[in-house]
Amino acid sequence: MSVNTWLATGNFNTTYRQEQKTFVTSLDRSIFTLFLLTLFAWPVFFPISQKYMLVVDNILVAIVAVMGLNLLLGFAGLISIGHAAFIGIGAYTVASFSRTLGDSHVIVTHFWPVLILLAGFMGALFGAIVGLPALRLKHLYLAIATLSFQMIFQWVINFMSFFNQGQTIYVGRVFWFTGEIGRNQHYMFWYYIILTLVVLMGFGVRNLLKTRYGRSLVAVRDNDRAADAMGMNPGLTKVYAFALAGFFAGVAGALHAYLYRGIGFESFTLHQSVGYLAMAIVGGLGTLNGSFWGPVAIKYLDIQMEHLAEFAGHYMVQASNLSTALKPLSFGLVIVLFLMFEPRGIANWWRIAKSYTKLWPFRY
Amino acid sequence: MAQLTVSDVTLSFGGLKALSEVNMTIEPGLITSIIGPNGAGKTSMLNCISGFYHPTRGNIFYKDKKLTHASPHEVSNMGIARAFQNLELFSGLTVLDNLLLARHQNLKYNFIEAVVFYGKASRVEAENRAYVEDIIDFMELEPYRKSLVGNLSYGVQKKVEVARALTLAPDILLLDEPMAGMNQEEKEDIVRFVLDIQKEREITVVLVEHDLGVVMDISDRIYVLDFGEVIGSGTPEEVAQNPKVIEAYIGEG
Repeated sequence: MSVNTWLATGNFNTTYRQEQKTFVTSLDRSIFTLFLLTLFAWPVFFPISQKYMLVVDNILVAIVAVMGLNLLLGFAGLISIGHAAFIGIGAYTVASFSRTLGDSHVIVTHFWPVLILLAGFMGALFGAIVGLPALRLKHLYLAIATLSFQMIFQWVINFMSFFNQGQTIYVGRVFWFTGEIGRNQHYMFWYYIILTLVVLMGFGVRNLLKTRYGRSLVAVRDNDRAADAMGMNPGLTKVYAFALAGFFAGVAGALHAYLYRGIGFESFTLHQSVGYLAMAIVGGLGTLNGSFWGPVAIKYLDIQMEHLAEFAGHYMVQASNLSTALKPLSFGLVIVLFLMFEPRGIANWWRIAKSYTKLWPFRY
Repeated sequence: MAQLTVSDVTLSFGGLKALSEVNMTIEPGLITSIIGPNGAGKTSMLNCISGFYHPTRGNIFYKDKKLTHASPHEVSNMGIARAFQNLELFSGLTVLDNLLLARHQNLKYNFIEAVVFYGKASRVEAENRAYVEDIIDFMELEPYRKSLVGNLSYGVQKKVEVARALTLAPDILLLDEPMAGMNQEEKEDIVRFVLDIQKEREITVVLVEHDLGVVMDISDRIYVLDFGEVIGSGTPEEVAQNPKVIEAYIGEG
């Protein structure tokens, strides 16, 4: 029997390994590859202004952060209101190097991949420490424990002269094989770096969820008593979930520091933490693709609100105050509306759309 | 030699004694039942063995290992699996995932291999999938393999609960009222599975059950608990003749 790998129909799995495949048919794989190629190619063919490239980069950094938060909140069911602080840990890991060695030291500018990885591990370390209360606390109480970490982080940064009391700490321009990345290439360069990381981490998470390391997260979310009886250590699993989220946050923080070529404490406040929570919720908790939808949706909303406020301010000068109120207002509204009408997030729309195209046009 | 020994176990919650100086020996390869009226301490006994409660006094030994203060995952990794009375399944997952979860300790690959998921992790996952399929086959759960556990009927969920405990590949299986709330047909099904588990898979079964008919039919040994004390033990015939047991159940002095 000839096997047509382009269609799902007529093909029967004969080994369990065949069932592990991420892409069922060659068609799926081709579409996805094409999609990735598009992501990598579009800035070359349709260059956009620096301002919007920064927005795109920002979205990608948020995706890295939200992937971690989604593993923690969506898969392991542990609430963290201190995610921005974990991101801050990563960013300040890079900043402390720049502060002690000078912002253009060779370690900061040439060994940035090492620093990004190190920032991830610092995030994981702090995540594990902050996750320790999860051994005893649940739900709201755990949320308060992570909130306290957020507060401690802000105070420490604000009062330590080593961290410039929260004022901007500069990070130098990085070097690639071609030499220093100049002003004009900066955002484009980081677009490719962060996109590559997002793709790698996305596949990493997809694989992880197929193994015991992913399943144990879901087990402690659904029923940690039963998880215990099934031979997992629920306490250890929770700490591991926090460490995992911390790693993603740390990487995101380091990327943030390099992208902005400097950091100040205002990027890691409680407000930002709530923002990441909103992205995770709007995207869809407990789904991998939700981590991609959420940041895109929220950041897009941000831009549109800015435009709207600008537009309104142009015609009614008195309404220019509106611009400051409109952003948080729309932001809050979106969270409430999603929680009410689509608690499973945009990922659910994606799921529905996919199930429609399963029969049309002639998929089988 | 006894496989599991419970010696002088006392469990008290404040002033309430759930168990007082209970002694039990579980012989390998047999079906041992624990019966008794409501609130007699049967489930407390299982909780003590499986590590959810720790005895106030006394000790529990598995072969020669002491598991008095072991936590549930340590106990289950030693080879004592437990099915719960009130379903404690992962209701948001499929039957298959529920069973795969029980293979946690048998999946020998590290974190990096899991993230790469090429070669070892993939191979080990496939092997374990084969093991899980064997259990699904054994418990006749094939039609429900990919359905969410939360959507299944109560009877099937109970079967999944037993199957999940079985997937741990235990030496001793603790079943907490596997037949509660089932109709005659489903009960007969479960009884057949319990007997198969004992005979085919050579697993020692400890059964807590209210249905005396079933218990008398299939048990090799019976312990009768009342108010936390063992009031009778032995073969089904011996227990049925024990005046204390008759008193506890029928209430005549």
